[in-house]
Amino acid sequence: MAANFWASSHYKQLMEQEEVDVVHSPDKEKGLTLDEFKLIKMHMANYIAKLAQSVKVRQRVVATAVTYMRRVYTRKSMSEYDPRLVAPTCLYLASKAEESTVQARLLVFYIKKQYNDEKYRYEIKDILEMEMKILEALNYYLVVYHPYRPLSQLLQDAGMTEMTQLSWGLVNDTYKMDLILIYSPYMIALACIYIATVLKEKDTTAWFEELRVDMNVVKNISMEILDFYDSQKILNEERISAAINKLALKP
Amino acid sequence: MSEADTHSIKLVADRYLKREVLGEGTYGVVYKAIDTQTGQVVAIKKIRIGQQKEGVNFTALREIKLLKELKDPNIIQLIDAFPHKGNLHLVFEFMESDLEAVIRDRNIVLSPADIKSYIQMTLKGLAFCHKKWVLHRDMKPNNLLIGADGQLKLADFGLARIFGSPDRRFTHQVFARWYRAPELLFGTKQYGSGVDVWAAACIFAELLLRRPFLQGSTDIDQLGKIFTAFGTPKPSQWPDMVFLPDYVEYTYLPAPALRSLFPTASDDCLDLLAKMFTYDPKARISVQQALEHRYFSSIPAPTRPALLPRPPRKGDSLNNRPLDLNANEGPTVLSPPRKSRRVMPQRERLEGHGHQGDKVDDHLYDVRQAASGNTGKSESMPMSVDFSVFGSRPPPRPTLNR
Repeated sequence: MAANFWASSHYKQLMEQEEVDVVHSPDKEKGLTLDEFKLIKMHMANYIAKLAQSVKVRQRVVATAVTYMRRVYTRKSMSEYDPRLVAPTCLYLASKAEESTVQARLLVFYIKKQYNDEKYRYEIKDILEMEMKILEALNYYLVVYHPYRPLSQLLQDAGMTEMTQLSWGLVNDTYKMDLILIYSPYMIALACIYIATVLKEKDTTAWFEELRVDMNVVKNISMEILDFYDSQKILNEERISAAINKLALKP
Repeated sequence: MSEADTHSIKLVADRYLKREVLGEGTYGVVYKAIDTQTGQVVAIKKIRIGQQKEGVNFTALREIKLLKELKDPNIIQLIDAFPHKGNLHLVFEFMESDLEAVIRDRNIVLSPADIKSYIQMTLKGLAFCHKKWVLHRDMKPNNLLIGADGQLKLADFGLARIFGSPDRRFTHQVFARWYRAPELLFGTKQYGSGVDVWAAACIFAELLLRRPFLQGSTDIDQLGKIFTAFGTPKPSQWPDMVFLPDYVEYTYLPAPALRSLFPTASDDCLDLLAKMFTYDPKARISVQQALEHRYFSSIPAPTRPALLPRPPRKGDSLNNRPLDLNANEGPTVLSPPRKSRRVMPQRERLEGHGHQGDKVDDHLYDVRQAASGNTGKSESMPMSVDFSVFGSRPPPRPTLNR
């Protein structure tokens, strides 16, 4: 699979961090900071994962949905595209694209169950309308590659399958960041393996050397992930809702 | 919302000049249009959004997803997509004909070099799919479209899927029955690119025979037809067969000589056919290997696409406003006069034109040219029976055997 990633639309769409970290002007005008922008995206990634648990879809669908959501916000503002509608719609679209369709009415049901907050409530027709807009925002590119497959292959190759659980969890957490828009899934997988082996104090220098990958990139990604875990400690619900409220979306 | 609407209306008006309806596709109407930005003739599929039920059609979404990744001269190009009045529209390059029309057209003679060219283009398109880990799963002659330049392109990716994870289970209800590989007919859920190879082999055989090769009426009958043609497989030939979900034992039939089924085929051709029709999918030749087979390097060389015999354009019979088309009147110019020799439909009209007795054939040919040149309504004489004249669905394919 890795071989054809390099010929894929996903590869061609990879961006620089600076390009991803742009708060669109309608949001900026409302005073949304870059930190808050990232915070909302992270919150929406969590929202997608939670919804996905209720409707029981594979991790891969969650990962694709989050990638769609993050791609949308490299092109569209949150003022124009309400994250609370974009998130479930991305899950809906991803479930179709990954061949495990979830019915829109089921999503609507679980949204209502999960959130008492009126502002999260959307109807089927809202989701279907947004689906078309998201397709357009994605420029109809729907195939997304993820670190999960390279992760399993690499761990097998390294004879470290006992690391699967830890590194898999790390990969899941990378979707709380924008890494999937910036780095190849293969490199993200390697960074997660690297962190896992450092945590478990395993010496894998020889194995990494044999792979002939740019270890600087692997270490940079690893640092980003670790920084993210540090920053998460000061997270709370109030900051998230304060950020979303700035957007003043629903009356 | 209203902003997006006006924008998309402009897009259609600005960019695409709508023309006549071409037919009913898998999930909506297909119409012809001119892309004013490029001057290119395009086919636009309007995808009906099911009454506020499940959004963008699942099959259409599959096709969009895969075609956005598959850019190859032998795969249909998805040029654009846009929402308009709440429906999604897909813009494809316009294709004049398809391989089924070629095979069915009794006025077309396919030389060994022509057959080689058509099957080579089929395999090239398929090889690209497989390289990208995409199974087509609906290979059949009328999904192989032919462009104005003679290039054959794989189309209709509504059943296609990405494969590659060995553990994924797929449905075996894919392909039109006549093109279904034996492992599918025995109900396998774990299959690979071999299913497309089998279907391509059926198309290859159909090009040689000019009729569908194995025309089963049920799945059981289909297997019967396959075993009659190639002999009942022995477990030694295909060890996994007996473990397949729907496996049933068939009475033993010996394999007849392949030569007896394809009397006109060359030795190289028969050798490749046999390798593509191998029972065990694990032993079946891959598309890439098939393209490297000596059949494609031995003489005759495959005909250049532009020189291939083709039936009249699909649009001709339905086309009421031919102004954009007359500029490059393709097939009639390129095809040899012999194509005109047995014009069947609307003979009276032709004779009314002043039939001169001798040199009938050449005369008919001239009339056809004239007719397409001067009538405002292009009721141009089809060179052969194009069934699209009679409605959206062609009548059952002619069965000339038995």
